[in-house]
Amino acid sequence: MTVWEKLRPYGMVAPAIIIFSLFFIYPIFYMIYLSMFDWNFVSPVKTYVGFQNFKDLLMEPDFRQVLSNTTIYMVLTVTLTTVIALLLALWLNRKSYFYGFVQGAIFTPHIISLVSISLLWSWLMDPEYGLLNWVIGLAGFDKLQWLSHPSTSLISLVMVAVWKGLGYNTLVFIAGLQSIPTDIYEAASLDRSKPWRTFTKLILPMLSPTLFFLVIINMIGSFQVFETIAIMTQGGPVNSTNTLVYYIYEYGFRFFKIGYASAAGVILLIIVGILTMIYFKMLSNRVHYR
Amino acid sequence: MVKKLTALSLAFSMGVLTACGSNGTNVSTGNTNSGAKAEGAESASSNKTVIKYWYAYGEKIEEAKLHMVKEFNESQDKIEVIAEHQGDYEDLHAKVQAAFAAGDAPAVTDLEIASTGVFARSGMLEELTAYAEKDKDQLQLEDFNAGLMGNAYVDDKLFGLPFMRSTPILYKNVTMLKDAGLDPEGPKTWDELEQYSRVLKEKGKVGMTVPVDIWFYEALVAQSGGQMLSEDGKTAAFNTPEGVAPVEFWKKLSSEGLIKMPVGDEAGATADKDWANQMSAFKFGSTAGVTGSLEIAKGNGFELETAFMPANVSYGVPTGGCQLVMTSKSSDEEKEAAWEFIKWMTSKENTIYQHKHVGYLPTRQSAVESEELKAHFKENPQFKVAVDQLEYARPRPMENAYPEVAKIIKESIQKAILDPKTSPQDALNQGAEKANKLLSK
Repeated sequence: MTVWEKLRPYGMVAPAIIIFSLFFIYPIFYMIYLSMFDWNFVSPVKTYVGFQNFKDLLMEPDFRQVLSNTTIYMVLTVTLTTVIALLLALWLNRKSYFYGFVQGAIFTPHIISLVSISLLWSWLMDPEYGLLNWVIGLAGFDKLQWLSHPSTSLISLVMVAVWKGLGYNTLVFIAGLQSIPTDIYEAASLDRSKPWRTFTKLILPMLSPTLFFLVIINMIGSFQVFETIAIMTQGGPVNSTNTLVYYIYEYGFRFFKIGYASAAGVILLIIVGILTMIYFKMLSNRVHYR
Repeated sequence: MVKKLTALSLAFSMGVLTACGSNGTNVSTGNTNSGAKAEGAESASSNKTVIKYWYAYGEKIEEAKLHMVKEFNESQDKIEVIAEHQGDYEDLHAKVQAAFAAGDAPAVTDLEIASTGVFARSGMLEELTAYAEKDKDQLQLEDFNAGLMGNAYVDDKLFGLPFMRSTPILYKNVTMLKDAGLDPEGPKTWDELEQYSRVLKEKGKVGMTVPVDIWFYEALVAQSGGQMLSEDGKTAAFNTPEGVAPVEFWKKLSSEGLIKMPVGDEAGATADKDWANQMSAFKFGSTAGVTGSLEIAKGNGFELETAFMPANVSYGVPTGGCQLVMTSKSSDEEKEAAWEFIKWMTSKENTIYQHKHVGYLPTRQSAVESEELKAHFKENPQFKVAVDQLEYARPRPMENAYPEVAKIIKESIQKAILDPKTSPQDALNQGAEKANKLLSK
């Protein structure tokens, strides 16, 4: 082996490694480093405070509310998206122009920018001039406050996220359903299995890798929700829609407390890291029927 | 992962493309943005000093700013200013901060007045005292309205010059008032505002739609004779009776349906829409909206008057808007250029121009007394109100923690208004407790 042959693979991966280290690894370590300081990003003096930022964070009632908002948002978004997408996939998993059209229609929100979607829904949900309240009014019900009241603001954001994520999830479920060999279905119908039994004992286990993939991806995605909040509510009213990433942004770029924001970033990193590890662990164990 | 890498490489190639553009490969695309860049590149080759100026807001405000920059560039051949739009004040501040950390800050930027303190104290701003001293005959610092200079100084050092400055004023739909049999001269006090709103409610309208906004709250606290923070800025003062009075007033009126207080992110827009659609007779708004509101009134066929915000124990308003500041890490040459530019933008002629074009205050006494503005006020009295109201104006708090404190106050007010069980006093006490922790640091 010549020197070149030995070095070649390293040369080939170098660009990827350099970019990865520079834009992913370095920022993570720098963030962990910054979380130990009291700093405003521009002043020449960084004051070392140890774990004080973490103590402050955990003592802060607003931060606890942010964590609970994020969790509620995640649980609702993931459950609703997954269940509705699965039902839609079961319904749409057949071939005809009509079903193709419906599939296409529910997929479109996925390709629209989240910023446009946020603006659009802000308009639909406007308590005075919005289309939704107009329809509710016509139907004779009391108007909802949507994003303008703490009791409905978070669920309104969940609605938008579900609407946006539904198409992609349905599509992946349909792909999963189609990868199930048809002979298993035939065997089940020969055995006169009831539809519910076919679903729970056959489809669901066969679909479990897909299901699991979607749940994890949606969970990680929900933990990182930012655009809709930045555009539609800015965390309000009364902190009711403030979530982890928006909280980090607010402290980092509006209140100039980089250390405190980095500490919150570390907590986000830990949560998302745990979720990702669970995912890979389960993936290596091959979630499947046994 | 694949997605991320693709996005990354896209970002890279875009970076390379823009870099080519600004190095003056000079392709004219007809697009105004790249046009501006190409101009900058050309001038670089002819030894002009090129500086960047970042500004906030679009429409009329942007028109006025770009017009003045263009005039400046054409007025001399040593300095080329490239103006770049950066969103609203919050976006602008975040970007200036990040650019400064990266060593690529614009030489001159707009800065919302309440943030002067935190920017100056963290060393991002160049002190202007010496510049002003050097050019004092040309600059005429004492010509600026004293009511606008409170936020220009941080710890007795000059850091900014008043540029597009405002106060909140009361916009009135006089046609609605006349139809309801109300005296169009009022309301001059909180009590009158309440009475007017009662009459308007009987007609199926509301007196006013008010968003929970820190700037308006500051105004009502001033009208009640109170302060937001203690004299030394170390403790909250908004939970005193003078600070609680505005929230009790708002809560009482909104619970009786006399005014509407939307709380969401769209609240400000809702207030403007209600007023434009003649659902409400009044709105609070910045003087920056005079020209725009006159157009709305004309389009919707009603008569608009402006007035002082109603008084409680006295009149009172905070000032607002932005000043022009210089960042501290530019080269000496760029700083000289930046100073020339700031002087130009804040001159008597330009303050008159921006006042007439947008509605912001004329910042100089000589401008207010000029024949041009006297004639303008006579014809359009709506513009004059804010100038007169300056007598009652005060600066905004500039403590480092104030942006965060402002958020706490806003949430306390929202809570008091939304939750019937929370009294304004309790909500503000809780807010003050949180704020004190931040302020005492």
